[in-house]
Amino acid sequence: MPEPIYLDHAATTPVRAEVLEAMLPFYGPRFGNPSSIHRWGREARTALDEARERVAACLGASTDEICFTSGGTEADNIAILGAWRGRRDAGRRAIVTTPIEHKAILASVHQAASEGADERFCKMTPAGVVDRSSFDALCNRDTAIASVMWVNNEIGTVQPIAELARQAKSVGALFHTDGVQAFGKIAIDARAIPFDVLSVSGHKIGAPKGIGAVFIRRGTTISPLFHGGAQDRGRRPGTENVASAVGFARAAELAVAEREEECRRLAQLRDRLEQAILARIPDARVHGRGAPARAPHVLNVSVPGTDSESLLMALDLRGIGCSAGSACQSGSITPSHVLSAIGVPADLASAAIRMSLGSLTTDACIDRVAEVFPALVEKARGMARAS
Amino acid sequence: MRERVLVAMSGGVDSSVAAALLVEQGYDVVGATMKLFCHGDDLPDRPCCSLDSVNDARRVCQSLGVPHYVLNLESAFGRDVVDDFVHEYSIGRTPIPCVRCNTFTKFRDLVAKADAIDARWIATGHYARVVDGELRRGVDPAKDQSYFLWGIDRGVLGRMLLPVGTQTKPETRAVAHRLGLELIAEKRESQDICFVPDGDHTRIIRQRLGDDAPALASGPFVLSNGAVVGTHDGFARFTIGQRRGVPGGFREPMFVVAIRPADRAVVIGPRSELLGRGVVAREMNWLVDAPEVGERVEIQVRHRATPARAEIVRLDAEAREIELGLDEPVAAITPGQSLVLYHGDRVLGGGLIERGLGVGLRVIAA
Repeated sequence: MPEPIYLDHAATTPVRAEVLEAMLPFYGPRFGNPSSIHRWGREARTALDEARERVAACLGASTDEICFTSGGTEADNIAILGAWRGRRDAGRRAIVTTPIEHKAILASVHQAASEGADERFCKMTPAGVVDRSSFDALCNRDTAIASVMWVNNEIGTVQPIAELARQAKSVGALFHTDGVQAFGKIAIDARAIPFDVLSVSGHKIGAPKGIGAVFIRRGTTISPLFHGGAQDRGRRPGTENVASAVGFARAAELAVAEREEECRRLAQLRDRLEQAILARIPDARVHGRGAPARAPHVLNVSVPGTDSESLLMALDLRGIGCSAGSACQSGSITPSHVLSAIGVPADLASAAIRMSLGSLTTDACIDRVAEVFPALVEKARGMARAS
Repeated sequence: MRERVLVAMSGGVDSSVAAALLVEQGYDVVGATMKLFCHGDDLPDRPCCSLDSVNDARRVCQSLGVPHYVLNLESAFGRDVVDDFVHEYSIGRTPIPCVRCNTFTKFRDLVAKADAIDARWIATGHYARVVDGELRRGVDPAKDQSYFLWGIDRGVLGRMLLPVGTQTKPETRAVAHRLGLELIAEKRESQDICFVPDGDHTRIIRQRLGDDAPALASGPFVLSNGAVVGTHDGFARFTIGQRRGVPGGFREPMFVVAIRPADRAVVIGPRSELLGRGVVAREMNWLVDAPEVGERVEIQVRHRATPARAEIVRLDAEAREIELGLDEPVAAITPGQSLVLYHGDRVLGGGLIERGLGVGLRVIAA
């Protein structure tokens, strides 16, 4: 079999060599606990403080606005539940979000609803963008927080975060954005865009799994989810994951420095793959294609008369790793809530294949996928016709 | 190039050993676990279809070094198997969902998945054999599962591999140990219907049809002469030949001899009324060229029953409906169960029992 092709960078990315190198001392001699008063502790504390400063710099934030977490899911939970629990007593009992959020947001909002919150989902356009009039109508003086993901993880559509944040803030609501897929792809500057809370994750940008951060703008009321020591100003108790924080900082710096060039490269590869697929399969449907802005690394395509499960297996057995929708606990594929929320019919939604590009994607990868994918599709459709 | 085989893996010992044997025989094995329904809450102590079973199948594939996939066949299984199961009970019959799962899910829908990955073969852990393009009983009479396989498309036989069908269950466990599959080697057998893990099939009937479903509403126990002798709490709780829950106080032990949904009656009678001298079945499916009227065969009207000698007395033009006369009476011929025809170990075909024919039963039909 030819060299396998990894086309699932939106799921996770390999740890970069520079990142691993930066982390190694903290698995060796620099093992200290940042809260200790001795030299080992000071050494660890220095590394952690520096990591926080460097992540803050990447986001246009102040150091004290960065809180390290175990990843995007924890950051999203802190944002939603922290804001809800911190503001409900002030009469702000509504949460506004979209139906295309990551499960970490949807499940957190659901948890808040079980604690008495009023959950509100704004309408989406068929292109996969928030319907502005719906969003504006739902954000009121009773809204604790509005949360809209910056870049959708399944279809790559970009939401107008600056406008939505301004709208939410005009009625006194907090604004959170899940920036997990946006980090490294979109310029994120907390000084220019008025979000109050932002989630980012390490393993999508070449840092290890198990590290992420939540930006919490100064003066924002967020109740902690964990209870324990005074680490991270009490916002996130627990001995800090120093090695991963250092790795995350290195990965963030690299991602921000390389962003423009890498995005140009990925967009060009993605467009070439998209055009090749559409040329061979004219009735293929690219989800989110009509959005005003799309992140460069996601291509989500449905071919009528096929099903994602069979195609993913066939692709995998040809050495090509892609994904579809979201997987349930057993690992089986369930139809995408994102696609159904933007009005994609069930049969097309169940045919969706997400290809996500990144550091491992080369011209040669795209050439091969552009050849193999249509061939598998034609075969699958041939069998469907025959049966 | 090695031939590819898609192995349906439940996480149990039989299908795990099937996969392991095929790896040993040099096939390009791809494991798949079908997710057929969703347990709201996990039932970790259940041997089949729970999340743990998926995990066991995945671990077995990892140790065999072959890929494993979880296939979501929930909606098709719900339509083809669960809906039918509920409907059959609602009309007073006793279905076997495993037969429909084999027919529609394993050997149709899963075959389509095999096609999609260019798998020449499809394998399961069934105790049955395919020899010269014909289905045969498994060699272990205690485990033979050929009774459940009559409904599959004859054309699929040429693609089926049933590696454990040539061995006994203890041999299968021994192979599991020999191949180092300690994780599943001594796993206990699944006895229940996979989507009825607690053995209470009325729960799913209630879920689908509501609390006021006639099949679960009270009705009369009647004798074949029409006398009402008691009240039951839903005819779906009964099957032909059942003694549990039947009123006592008669001279002889009484059995359910018929279920009459029209007036929700459960007809009870002594053993003599349970005996049938013939059987009518429909939806016949043939795994060999259809036989002709007058041919002598052995039949089974339930799993693990001793085969009974019979003669084909009627067969419609399409060979879809059949009537057989039995040499000796057979007890508890149950509508909805399967009629399977054999010549020795060879499975000729089968169908769904419509009704039994016999002295006792003629009274009830009137």
